Amino acid sequence: MGDVIVVTSGKGGVGKTTTSANIGTGLAAAGHNVVLVDTDIGLRNLDVVMGLENRIVYDIVDVTSGNCRLRQALIKDKRYENLYLLPAAQTKDKTAVNPEQMKALALELKNEFDYAIIDCPAGIEQGFRNAIAGADRAIVVTTPEVSAVRDADRIIGLLEAADLKNPRLIINRIRPAMVKRGDMMDISDIMDILAIDLIGVVPDDESIVISTNRGEPAVSDNSSHAGEAYRRITRRIQGEEVPLMNLEAPDGFMDKVKKFFGMR
Amino acid sequence: MLYLDPEEDFAVLMDELQGLLRDSEQFLQGAAVRCYGGDKVFSVEQKEQLSQTLTQHGLTPAGWLKADQVYTPSHNLVSVNQEPVKARIWDEGTVEGPCLFVERTLRSGASIQFEGHVVVLGDVNPGAEIIATGNIAVMGSLRGVAHAGATGERKATVSAYHLAPTQLRIADVVARSPEGTDDWRGPEIAKIKENQLMVEGVQMTGLRGKGR
Repeated sequence: MGDVIVVTSGKGGVGKTTTSANIGTGLAAAGHNVVLVDTDIGLRNLDVVMGLENRIVYDIVDVTSGNCRLRQALIKDKRYENLYLLPAAQTKDKTAVNPEQMKALALELKNEFDYAIIDCPAGIEQGFRNAIAGADRAIVVTTPEVSAVRDADRIIGLLEAADLKNPRLIINRIRPAMVKRGDMMDISDIMDILAIDLIGVVPDDESIVISTNRGEPAVSDNSSHAGEAYRRITRRIQGEEVPLMNLEAPDGFMDKVKKFFGMR
Repeated sequence: MLYLDPEEDFAVLMDELQGLLRDSEQFLQGAAVRCYGGDKVFSVEQKEQLSQTLTQHGLTPAGWLKADQVYTPSHNLVSVNQEPVKARIWDEGTVEGPCLFVERTLRSGASIQFEGHVVVLGDVNPGAEIIATGNIAVMGSLRGVAHAGATGERKATVSAYHLAPTQLRIADVVARSPEGTDDWRGPEIAKIKENQLMVEGVQMTGLRGKGR
């Protein structure tokens, strides 16, 4: 029986879809059978981030309303043959699916795959309720900003009320230089409020913008700093104890020159 | 009201009833009697016999009661007139009253409303709120909204180990924390003094002595 993990945040734009794509790809690269599920009906993005938008024939609404079988809607990934995507619908909205249907779908997916990663939409309404309906555990993504942390706190409260205890936290897009200057919340400030176990910290990295536009998740890119963070998160999801990586980007040429002249 | 033991044999009950009525005939004369036999169903003949016995002794049978019309010790007491609890005299700075204990952290979006005092054994995160008619005490960080004395009690207080609310209200007075004051100054208590919300440190020398 597989594990159904929902990736949620409350706040929009903090990196749920990017995280789902990267940990899904990472787990597939480690040899597991993985399915990614996009529940952001009406505003689907997971297909774009995975580079599979041209291959969509059926979507999650077709499956839940019985227009097609699950197998017909699943799209095999370009790079990994043990990785599949179940895309959302773009021409409907979040009322097209209900939590009962999601629970039944999650059960079907558990039988076929080792991991089902559910990409949750922003908000706390029907889309959120649908996404958490069949989940076994939750990952909450936040950025180190007061507004994102506020929303993450609300989401954690709602998850606990829905019996999804012990969600794990990913702090995304952290900038160590800003933290040092005191311009950005640091990890302990965030943990003070959210008080859940941390499963990873991902630095802000230009390579993410490039990889999402290209449809090639950064976790597969060995030169990506953020990709390395996602690789470590993937290992932690599988139960391994991995230390937090050094978040500061390796020095570029100009940084080294500045250091030499004592200007850093 | 006549309570007939449902476990008991009917003949035995009748015997006892006869004895009871003979002894208290004068006292019970003219009374209307309603009978209650628990779950036991009495036959028509038995009910007839009971009626006759009662009328013989000058009592008027007035029907049978159902279980929910009867108070038995195992049932919950339906509102009994209670005398108001006499207020005890306490020293200055000592208040009594009903109190709600919340044994967890209140996350954003949580809302607690209570007629009485509220004690939170945890943090109150920004976006959470507590509305109490009495005092509010938070054994952690108060970072949300706290409204004490919500129905007008100006002597109500708000206290916390770390008092850093987004907004503080006591009765009708509302205040924000002054800018840039999130360093920990120790446990503090807020009260209304001279029409303004004042915050002072709580005398917890034992805690301070141990350092943070």
